[in-house]
Amino acid sequence: MAIDQKDMAVTPGDRSGGDAASLLVASSGRRTDRLFRSVALVAGLLVLAILGLIAASTTHEAWPAFRSEGLSFVTSSTWIPAEGKFGALAFIYGTVLSSLLALVLAVPVSLGIALYANEAAPSRIRRPIIYVMDLLAAIPSVVYGLWGFIVLAPFLGPHVYAPINDAVGGWPVIGWFLNGSSGRSFMTAGIILAIMITPIITSLSREVIATVPRAQREAAYGMGATRWEMIRLAVLPWGRGGIVGAIMLGLGRAMGETIAVALVIGSQAGQITTHLFEAGDSMAAVIVNQFGEASGTHRAALVGLGVVLFLVTIIVNVSARSVVARFDRRAQGF
Amino acid sequence: MRSSRKPLALLIAILAIFGVVAAACGGSKSDSDAKPDTSYDYASLSGTLNGSGATFPKAFYEESIAGFAGVAKGVTVNYNGVGSGQGKKDLAAGTSDWAGTDSLVADADKATFKGPFLYFPTVAAPITVSYNLSGVKTLNLSAATLAKIFSGSVTSWDDPAIAADNAGTTLPSTKITVAVRSDGSGTTSNFSKFLAAAAPDAFTLTAGDTVAWPSAQSAKGNAGVAAIVKSTNGSIGYVDLSDAVASGLTFASIGNKDGKFVQPTLEGASAALAGATINADLTYSALNASGADAYPITAGTYIIVYSSITSPTQASAIRGWINYVLTEGQTIAPDVDFAPLPTSLRDKAIAQIAQIQG
Amino acid sequence: MGADLDDLFVRAEDGELLLRGTTGRSRRIRNRLASIWMVGSVVVAVIPLALVIGYVLVKGIGQLTPDWFTKDLPAVTRRAGGGMGPAIVGTLLITGVAAAMSVPLGVLGAIYLHEYGGRGRLARLIRFMADVMTGVPSIVMGLFVYTIWTIAHGLSAFGGALALSCLMLPIIIRTTEEMLRLVPDELRQASYALGNRKWRTVVTVVLPAAFGGITSGVMLAVARAAGETAPLVFTIGAARNLNLSIFNGPTTALSVQIFGNAQTPFEAAQARAWGAALTLVAIVFILTILARVVSAGVARRHNA
Repeated sequence: MAIDQKDMAVTPGDRSGGDAASLLVASSGRRTDRLFRSVALVAGLLVLAILGLIAASTTHEAWPAFRSEGLSFVTSSTWIPAEGKFGALAFIYGTVLSSLLALVLAVPVSLGIALYANEAAPSRIRRPIIYVMDLLAAIPSVVYGLWGFIVLAPFLGPHVYAPINDAVGGWPVIGWFLNGSSGRSFMTAGIILAIMITPIITSLSREVIATVPRAQREAAYGMGATRWEMIRLAVLPWGRGGIVGAIMLGLGRAMGETIAVALVIGSQAGQITTHLFEAGDSMAAVIVNQFGEASGTHRAALVGLGVVLFLVTIIVNVSARSVVARFDRRAQGF
Repeated sequence: MRSSRKPLALLIAILAIFGVVAAACGGSKSDSDAKPDTSYDYASLSGTLNGSGATFPKAFYEESIAGFAGVAKGVTVNYNGVGSGQGKKDLAAGTSDWAGTDSLVADADKATFKGPFLYFPTVAAPITVSYNLSGVKTLNLSAATLAKIFSGSVTSWDDPAIAADNAGTTLPSTKITVAVRSDGSGTTSNFSKFLAAAAPDAFTLTAGDTVAWPSAQSAKGNAGVAAIVKSTNGSIGYVDLSDAVASGLTFASIGNKDGKFVQPTLEGASAALAGATINADLTYSALNASGADAYPITAGTYIIVYSSITSPTQASAIRGWINYVLTEGQTIAPDVDFAPLPTSLRDKAIAQIAQIQG
Repeated sequence: MGADLDDLFVRAEDGELLLRGTTGRSRRIRNRLASIWMVGSVVVAVIPLALVIGYVLVKGIGQLTPDWFTKDLPAVTRRAGGGMGPAIVGTLLITGVAAAMSVPLGVLGAIYLHEYGGRGRLARLIRFMADVMTGVPSIVMGLFVYTIWTIAHGLSAFGGALALSCLMLPIIIRTTEEMLRLVPDELRQASYALGNRKWRTVVTVVLPAAFGGITSGVMLAVARAAGETAPLVFTIGAARNLNLSIFNGPTTALSVQIFGNAQTPFEAAQARAWGAALTLVAIVFILTILARVVSAGVARRHNA
């Protein structure tokens, strides 16, 4: 729209140029060209500006909490707003644990779908699979949260977690993890997150797998390999870097997810436990649950959680993108 | 439904007012300060009254707002249930016109307000101890047992302490899930103050708007806690009666000062209010009240407004709104499971409306 | 089972056929297990999709009366009645304003990256950071806008739109750049040959050629933004009545209503949450499907 108007505004000037004025017109055209380029550049630089502003403004807002807590903001797990204690370690733990659970659940499924869609499925099935993934990705996270809160969590607690806990909760090693019976728990958060990141990991992995050169596949088949052997020998080694990148992007998405996790993780502060079926809390969930009522240092501490979350997801994303970028270069160079 | 109930409610209100006026006249022959409801000119009021605060009386205020909108067409009243703590802050900051709160303004915070303010008690209600334990339909809890559960020293439903309160009931070994408020709340304040008063030895935490519960799932608002209790087997939480009834929760009977186990009911709340001492600023505490029928966790709730308001129109609207809450609103209260004020306290509150200047 | 499973696979240049009856038994079993894993994965992914959509449809459909779209939210949360009008309008208004801000900027940014920056150092940095920016959690965007806008200017639809546009910007930049890449260089050269300046070439030749693809990308970005909740919670507030003003006063949105109503134990409120979920999912699906249709049309034109 904006571009159209600009175009129209300049057009008459362009047309009016006779021979005598051609030099002038040419230079005004060049000026417009430079102007256009600058405007486009500014729009591109906006990305860098916004990222910088996010870091600066949130850190500034969170400063009172960082100053009063110091390092214990990330090393203490005592979060008692009423007493002015803000240790976020348990929330960091909850974010990491629920996201890792999501990866454990989502990666095998995502890779299975990606390999099936790209390597094994007949074309009449391939298209519906892609649609299903599109729809999974399109459902807003709050809708997954609603379903998780009202349907999934109340079902899982008594009907899945409790029986498992009764059966193996006392065993060594396994019992350390499969313990507890809270419907809203780390595990439920992991399951909901897994559903949400599966389409992301699948579609990125598919892009990677699609770049495997046909010659490699044919070579494997030519040597008498089964389909699985071909996948293992030709597809997976080739795509490893890209798939790792895809998984890391999924991890980044899971760590930042807020609403769905806030609804199903159980909102229990201070929980650092290996018991997957117990309630806990994550950074993003704490922010959204407590922000409305918070003020002063409490509010600053919540913004501080946002800063930590921002840093962590930036690190994960930068590493993921670097892995993918390296892979891309190799793919294009081939 | 609604249209048929309203005239009835109005009739009751009118009769109640006549009763009050008659009683006042008959008793002392002096003029009553209470303005008769029938003559109150709601229609001429105008403006927008933004309120925020406690979620405990939210259902009552929402119903009153809906009723008030019917008689005062020029006034829009809003109420945002953000917790007592935030409600008081909003009023102090001037971002709201009235605050709903279950707890009083701390002396230290009074300086943050822009001027002198007034407390108007509106309704009272029992805070239920709601639980969800399959197979257990009735449950008795003494104050000491309750304090142990919420302090984290009793963690399983078959604990001897609970069994001692419930002779003859078979209790499962289910783990107790404690559900509490994540936001600063007058409900938390009243509940924890009751535990501190009634079971000082067993309650090891510090009472207040927010309490550092050792091991508990938390949620926003009374409704949020009710949602956890409703969906979690083995859970227990404190929820106001109105939200608990509307969510179909089961309540424990709580041991009162006289050693009786009492279910949370409006009658139990009224019995508790009857014995409470009213302070000069109309504040009171009905917690752990004595009386055989008194429900011990009964909390009052207040509207706070500034006593001096710059705009006369706005002041009239506020006076009208509070008058409505204290007259017709009182007849709506039982519909949403709130106990109306005792007549004596209500009359004092209505008389105080005249102190709102502007 | 075996025959059924085979139906789900292409009969590839697969060595398995050669192995039949020979010594590769364990290899065949391993291949079979892999097949089961792959098909099983699809089944596992379809189950939650079917459950979520099923619940949303069944529980939400009863809410969608004419009142739902026109009436204000009810004053009493626990009671049935009222409608979702202000939230539907709020969602459309906020996402609309967000798109109006982010689409022109995003397209311009993409033009810089592809038409001017190319493989230069700055363009590579911007491209990389745009990718990274797509990974910034939406709640961080919410906090960001809260600190730079809401603290000073209060709750409003604009704050929410600002947060959503920050989320949309990098997506639009990257998808638009991909679309610009698909425009054949011959078109640009032809335009230059006619004496057109670069900016004219971009505006009158390249953008129209990529228009369908850009539209499709924008719709996907809008669909994703329309479902966002976290950035709105701190920035738009909570209103019960319709608020058409962009800068003044709190408003509400479907996602925020779902989040709020879900967390209550009341039948009527939860029913409203399901109804709002159905409305939101419908809006998002329509945008997604439209985007697919548009991009399919583009693909056809390219092939033709």
